[in-house]
Amino acid sequence: MGALLSYFRGLIGSREMRILILGLDGAGKTTILYRLQVGEVVTTIPTIGFNVEQVTYKNLRFQVWDLGGQTSIRPYWRCYYSNTDAIIYVVDSADRDRIGISKQELVSMLEEDELKSAILAVLANKQDMEGAMTVAEVHSALGLDALKTRTFQIFKTSAIKGEGLDQAMDWLANALATRK
Amino acid sequence: MTDSKYFTTTKKGEIFELKSELNSDKKEKKKEAVKKVIASMTVGKDVSALFPDVVNCMQTDNLELKKLVYLYLMNYAKSQPDMAIMAVNTFVKDCEDPNPLIRALAVRTMGCIRVDKITEYLCEPLRKCLKDEDPYVRKTAAICVAKLHDINASMVEDQGFLDQLKELLSDSNPMPLMELNAATMNKLLTALNECTEWGQVFILDALSQFSPKDEREAQSICERITPRLAHANAAVVLSAVKCLMKFMELMVSDSEFVKNLTKKLAPPLVTLLSSEPEVQYVALRNINLIVQKRPELLKHEMKVFFVKYNDPIYVKLEKLDIMIRLASEANIVQVLSELKEYATEVDVDFVRKAVRAIGRCAIKVETSAERCVSTLLDLIQTKVNYVVQEAIVVIKDIFRKYPNKYESIISTLCENLDTLDEPEARASMIWIIGEYAERIDNADELLESFLEGFHDENTQVQLQLLTAIVKLFLKRPTDTQELVQQVLSLATQDSDNPDLRDRGFIYWRLLSTDPGAAKEVVLAEKPLIAEETDLIEPTLLDELICHIASLASVYHKPPSAFVEGRTGLRRALPKSSGGSDNETAGEQQQQQQQQQPTVIPNQDSLIPDLLNMDINAPPVVPAAQPAFSGGTLDLLGGGLDSLLGVGGAEVGGAPAPGIPPVAASSTAGLLGDIFGIASSSAPVYSPPKQVLLPANRGKGMEITGTFTRKAGAVSMDMTIHNKAMQPITGFAIQLNKNSFGITPASPLNVPAPLAPNQSIDVSLALTTSGPVQRMDPLTNLQVAIKNSVDVFYFATVMPMHIFFSEDGAMDKRVFLSTWKDIPSQNEVQFNIENVNLTADGISNKLQSSNIFTIAKRNVEGQDMLYQSIKLTNGIWVLTELKVQPGNTTIVLSLKSRATDVAQGIFEAFDGILHS
Repeated sequence: MGALLSYFRGLIGSREMRILILGLDGAGKTTILYRLQVGEVVTTIPTIGFNVEQVTYKNLRFQVWDLGGQTSIRPYWRCYYSNTDAIIYVVDSADRDRIGISKQELVSMLEEDELKSAILAVLANKQDMEGAMTVAEVHSALGLDALKTRTFQIFKTSAIKGEGLDQAMDWLANALATRK
Repeated sequence: MTDSKYFTTTKKGEIFELKSELNSDKKEKKKEAVKKVIASMTVGKDVSALFPDVVNCMQTDNLELKKLVYLYLMNYAKSQPDMAIMAVNTFVKDCEDPNPLIRALAVRTMGCIRVDKITEYLCEPLRKCLKDEDPYVRKTAAICVAKLHDINASMVEDQGFLDQLKELLSDSNPMPLMELNAATMNKLLTALNECTEWGQVFILDALSQFSPKDEREAQSICERITPRLAHANAAVVLSAVKCLMKFMELMVSDSEFVKNLTKKLAPPLVTLLSSEPEVQYVALRNINLIVQKRPELLKHEMKVFFVKYNDPIYVKLEKLDIMIRLASEANIVQVLSELKEYATEVDVDFVRKAVRAIGRCAIKVETSAERCVSTLLDLIQTKVNYVVQEAIVVIKDIFRKYPNKYESIISTLCENLDTLDEPEARASMIWIIGEYAERIDNADELLESFLEGFHDENTQVQLQLLTAIVKLFLKRPTDTQELVQQVLSLATQDSDNPDLRDRGFIYWRLLSTDPGAAKEVVLAEKPLIAEETDLIEPTLLDELICHIASLASVYHKPPSAFVEGRTGLRRALPKSSGGSDNETAGEQQQQQQQQQPTVIPNQDSLIPDLLNMDINAPPVVPAAQPAFSGGTLDLLGGGLDSLLGVGGAEVGGAPAPGIPPVAASSTAGLLGDIFGIASSSAPVYSPPKQVLLPANRGKGMEITGTFTRKAGAVSMDMTIHNKAMQPITGFAIQLNKNSFGITPASPLNVPAPLAPNQSIDVSLALTTSGPVQRMDPLTNLQVAIKNSVDVFYFATVMPMHIFFSEDGAMDKRVFLSTWKDIPSQNEVQFNIENVNLTADGISNKLQSSNIFTIAKRNVEGQDMLYQSIKLTNGIWVLTELKVQPGNTTIVLSLKSRATDVAQGIFEAFDGILHS
């Protein structure tokens, strides 16, 4: 049944995938969004609220929601969970102090029913900064080992330099296409 | 954490449907959904549960959808204050949108979201929009600042929005327009053709403030504005009319161009009268002004002002007004037949006004008087109560205008005596009887019949009756002695009304001392009444002409009278350049109007009679002059003073009593004074006005004045009285350097030319920041006043108390140590006699003049009060008052490092305590 559905979906090929970009404030979510959309680094200010843009990647159309990461906004993330196909969780690899908070937010998010089937891509961002945690460090700090059932992958990226984003998107596109 | 399931499981009902539609991929469906949401919202259903979903639709490039979402936000942001934060980023983005409409929309919506939590995030975008290149966005942003100020005033100040607003002001201020040069002028004129109608209104308004350098330029502008008269929008037409009216002032009034223009102006105004009643009313109010300024403009258009049966009442009344103004020999026949018809209508107010209008026509157009009178007589025959009453009131005016001409109708009037029940009509009838008593055989009987119910009558009627009977007595003394005694006793003994009583006494005394003089006074020749009684004062009219097509021209009030805080420039018509002839003609007209004060036919038409009496009673004057007007009496003090001043001066200056016009004009001033002073709230001490500049030294200008300090502001309150024969203008004042650096804070503001025999109260704000030079005596002040006649110098002594500053309360301990520090040879003692106040009363009184009682002690039955005073130049004065119960003399001891102020301080104490 699911295969049939995905088959039709593939035929029509026009349904927009809904992707949420989440993460703590200052992780680089908005920068990544616009890097994906226009391919440039734009100057950003803290997002109080959200940004939503259409991103086309390899003939796949995504509706990408970038939600603000401030403590005051995090409670409202859940308003955006329904119908979400994938989550891009962005982590500031240089911010060792708050990696714990980041983990808590990730864990509580993944507990949500509405996100049960969502694919997760974790971006260990800001790899260009000195003293940044490695991918392995981030992996263990977020406790990703505990994830059993979820389709997920972790990437090291630098939104400023544009490194790693393509790999992540490739994986995401593939994962979404081959999704059950 | 997963409470959301409670919401998602209720997958039923409208809200859920809307929710899924809002989250739809299809833009069309989304838009439809938002529209449905807005519809539910408007009919009052609560759709606030959809807040997050609607907000998610916010980032769209579809303007329509965006507007709808914004509308929703404005409504529900308050009920979802936390969630509203999700909208902030969109606002920020929209404020940078390339489309100015979206930028403005975002700013406007931001201002409407009254949620504290997000206002701080909105400051930054707002700041950007205030500097936006698009004027519409700037405008919207400026309004948003005002809204923000309402929500959080301190934030507006902290963020420096006020300064930004000020900058905005300087760029959109009409001031630069005043200095428009020909180039921008041309641009504006070109833009005029391309703008939307409302833009045209603004441009025309700006143009009207431009002053062309010569007649040619004015003409060419007029030519380019004229096509606007054919515009469909009434506001554009009126604005164009305003411009033309203004520029016509600059042209020779009988030139071909002006004649042509006048012809062109009439049709559009007439066209306005065929629109809906509300627009008609506005047009009529404006036309009313225009007709007063240029009666020739619409003189051939009388017919359009004829009232239609289905006009609303406010239009009818306004049309009547204009009809009267336009009435002339040429069209009076038409007008009268119309008016006669109106008088038979059903609407009482309208009928009354119509009847009154007939009377006004009679007064205005002499040749028609007879026709008017016969029309009025016809109307009286109808016996409709209110028509008859109104007719009698206007016939009284006609009698005054054309004495000894239509008295034959008196008998008809007398027939209707019984039906009169309104005071004004009764009073008018009584006046007629009194005035023509010698021709009415049974005048005494008629008046006697009125006298029976004397006490039930309105004051107006009582006064009239009193005067009429006195007139009757003077004309037929033999058989009316009893009647006059009766009315005098009624008026003087049984009446509580001071006016009536006083008038009764005056008549009584006159009659008993010198019947000859009484005759001269009571039966004096009356000034003729003027043609038009309710013309707007010329300077006001000119200003209103400049405000045609605005609220001011509908209210017939200058904008400053109803717009709070408007400090805009007073607009004035340009001085006509059409040679000095025109100008002087206008001035003469003005003078004439002011020289013979028109006696408006109303209840106090007999006041002149009364005031003759005042002048005849000089001995009262000095007796009543108080040294200091006392506490509550202060309210009347100023009024009395000026009354006495005027009265006294009149006696000295004008030995021949009985110039009614003089008296008439000074009553107005006097009443003004009383009301003016009565309205001021706190009983602040201010010495009575003294004559600063007598009329004989001021070439006819007399100035009385005093100084006050109220709420920290020092002012010099003066009454300027013009006793010369010509109007005085161009007032200016200068103060010489003085000991306290007193200097005018603003120039002397005497708005209009001061007509002969008029007085005006001016208050000159003073500051103490001027140059200081020691004077002798210390409080001496030398003043120079300039007017159109000459420059006058005089000196006066300022009362010390105006320098007592508000922060003069000294700490007790500081007081004690300062008192000790000042050497005892600096201590001066005075006795203040005749003070009937308790210690508390004294300190209260002193407190209101900034003498602060900081300690009170009771030593052996004596009250010791300690006060501190700080003068505006920083000198401290410490005083001690010794009050003994039962002794009206109090001892003032005074210490200060500058002993020369002591005398002045003592005088201030003396004045304040006796006030």
